[in-house]
Amino acid sequence: MSHGSIIKVPFGPQHPALKEPENFLFEVDGEIVVDVKPRLGYNHRGIEKAFELRTYIQNIYLAERICGICSDAHTTCYTQAIEELLNVELPPRARYIRVVIAELERIHSHALWVGIAAHEIGFDTLFMYVWRDRERVLDLFEMISGNRIHYAMNTIGGVRRDIHAAMVPKIIKGLDFFEERLRFYLDVVKTEQTILKRTAGVGILKPRDAVNLCAVGPTLRASGIRNDVRSDDPYAAYDEIPFSVITHDDCDVLSRLLVRCEEMLESIEIIRYALDSMPEGIIRVQVPKKVPQGEVVSRVEAPRGELIHYAKSNGTTKPERYKVRSPTLANIPALCKMLLGGYVADIPIVLAGIDPCFACMDRMAFVDIKQNKKWVWTMQQLRRKYAKE
Amino acid sequence: MGLDYAAVKKEVRKRMTAETIVSLIRILVFPGAMFLFALAFFYEWVDRKFFARLQNRYGPLHTGPHGILQPLADFLKLLSKEDITPHASDRLVFALAPVLYLALPLTTLFVIPVLDPTSFIAFEGDLIFVLFAFTLIIITVFLAGWSSINRFSTIGSMRAVLQMLGYEIPMGLVTVGTAIAVRSLSISRIVEWQSLHFWLILLQPLGFAIFTVCLLAELQFVPFDIPEAETEIVAGWRTEFSGRKLALLRLGKDLELVLASALIASLYLGGPQQFWLIPPIVIFLVKTTFAVMLLSLLRAVFARFRIDQMLSGMWKYLLPLATLQIILIQAGLGG
Amino acid sequence: MAFLKEALKQLFQKPATLKYPYEKLTVPKDFRGRPIWDMKKCIGCGLCSNVCPSGAIEMIGKGLEAEINHYVDRCMFCGQCAEICPENAIRMSEEYELADFDRSKMLHEYKKHS
Repeated sequence: MSHGSIIKVPFGPQHPALKEPENFLFEVDGEIVVDVKPRLGYNHRGIEKAFELRTYIQNIYLAERICGICSDAHTTCYTQAIEELLNVELPPRARYIRVVIAELERIHSHALWVGIAAHEIGFDTLFMYVWRDRERVLDLFEMISGNRIHYAMNTIGGVRRDIHAAMVPKIIKGLDFFEERLRFYLDVVKTEQTILKRTAGVGILKPRDAVNLCAVGPTLRASGIRNDVRSDDPYAAYDEIPFSVITHDDCDVLSRLLVRCEEMLESIEIIRYALDSMPEGIIRVQVPKKVPQGEVVSRVEAPRGELIHYAKSNGTTKPERYKVRSPTLANIPALCKMLLGGYVADIPIVLAGIDPCFACMDRMAFVDIKQNKKWVWTMQQLRRKYAKE
Repeated sequence: MGLDYAAVKKEVRKRMTAETIVSLIRILVFPGAMFLFALAFFYEWVDRKFFARLQNRYGPLHTGPHGILQPLADFLKLLSKEDITPHASDRLVFALAPVLYLALPLTTLFVIPVLDPTSFIAFEGDLIFVLFAFTLIIITVFLAGWSSINRFSTIGSMRAVLQMLGYEIPMGLVTVGTAIAVRSLSISRIVEWQSLHFWLILLQPLGFAIFTVCLLAELQFVPFDIPEAETEIVAGWRTEFSGRKLALLRLGKDLELVLASALIASLYLGGPQQFWLIPPIVIFLVKTTFAVMLLSLLRAVFARFRIDQMLSGMWKYLLPLATLQIILIQAGLGG
Repeated sequence: MAFLKEALKQLFQKPATLKYPYEKLTVPKDFRGRPIWDMKKCIGCGLCSNVCPSGAIEMIGKGLEAEINHYVDRCMFCGQCAEICPENAIRMSEEYELADFDRSKMLHEYKKHS
């Protein structure tokens, strides 16, 4: 199939395989990918600057809108950071409610991903079924928080709405239904020949490479590395809830698929435990408007991996500097490594395998005020500087 | 004494005109082009509706009763859109390819029996003509993609040709297998034979299965829609076509679907035969609708293969099975 | 094969699609739709206007005679205004079908009645 001629195939910014704009320039020899150059930044919206112009309360909603799918992870991370600066202790009930919402979000995000992955390999029927069943989870969100996406449950000092006793049986019923469907899909994924042929052995990322290239989240856990912020550095009520970190050893897209499906099952268990042992009490505490001077780093396990927020406050009602490092950015170098040597036909599923959320990711422009210079770091520069091959 | 040449000439001209007009109507309207276009739209609707129902959704719903006019609406909409030809493309081939893609299945459909057990044009060897037409269709696909110059189209055309290398031989083998059973290479004879004996699906079930799989590959349906894989190469060989040309391509694809289902119905399910008081054409419609629904069902329950997996699967499994079918026939187990 | 059975089973079930706008879902209690001001309770403190993250609320005047302009096309339905109002004058309604071709319909004016 190769005659020594290399074609450059651009993927994006508009492409059916990408749900969000990003540019990857593939150099293709017949059907084999020999090089990939990513160009990031199409979704750059100036959010970090916008943080500096708004008060801490208004910034909760800005943080929520960094991404639609992992909105709760961003607000949790943000409110945790500010609560740390203010030195407030969350009431126990609020911590448990945060866990319930975060795990529900993990379920809906992974279900969305399973549908997208099925669509990428041409399996539209599975895509339709999974998204239909995901609607039950979104209905639960609507009941608890008043909206299907952008739940706005977190606030500085606790949560805004309570999970009433009347809601709990409905949540359990929804979870039971979803668990039954999930077990069916897990069975399909493990036994359907066409899925196995497209995902097994595809997009290999060896454990050493995964660690060296700083992969996070299910991408990392599918290479056998046991790394999860919820158990390494517990936040909210995760130190009081027993759960297991799911890993698989095959390092391919099938492993990532299985890790995500099993994480969904694990999340259902966590929610059941949290609803069962939820303490009574208040759901929020009053906090002052001005935040004392300080710097803080807070991290949570978003559905896509480790999410880091950094905040610097100076005693006023608005933050001085805010930085977001989302998990997709950490997975991009690993993604490039996975794509080399694979087939063109495998590009969409490998790309989808890291569960890319480019909306979260684009914060790559650097501005150096002193030297009056601004530049964008290309992946090559980053790789040369930081990757240890 | 002698012939009245003027009167004879007038009589001949009158007969020829009448016959010509009747032939023109038969070619252009019924059971010719207009009827086949209507059938193409109908089968596209059946396919979309069945595919949607399998996925627990409605499919076309509001245009016409149960959405039956949706394919026609899509066709008319495309005709009214802007037709862009890329600057660097090979203009002549780019413009001719959709026309060819439409004309080839249309012409081939004339040799398949629709109204009665004998088709409009029947001759010994028309089965080979049909197989040849399939090859020509794929060459047209290749030319369509190649003349577009677009990277995605190029990859799509290469994949289309590679795919052809996979399914051509098994398909040829099993169709010839039906001909061997009947001792004739004419589709009309095969249909006639089935009305006198049994349906060939009962005698050659393996051949039927292989033929259906190869037709999925020829029609570029999932799991073999590799040349136009939407999520990988935008639209493959079809990427650059828009407006009128895309309308012709879509109509051509629907006509291919009619051709494929008509072939399944004629070669294995007995074709149009009188059944009690029901006219043969209705029987033909029922059998082809069943064939379309079968293809839709297969389209819904599989994911897409990669081109190398498809080729190795075809050569490692389908070709030996097709050969096995021929051996069985020769051994007397297939008619 | 389990998938094939599942797919065929769907043929006999009602499709999951909702024929909107002929069929509509009812929204649950406490749904965050368009906020509505009860001007009888409003004391014109300006807290809602200050806290709105997207600047969708404009207060005209001050005190008990103040009027509110709410721009629905800027509103993100977060509910912070309803939360912070000291008089509980703002209620998140059930309205969500707010799209229109006319930009002027996006402005909702709440005036004081005497």
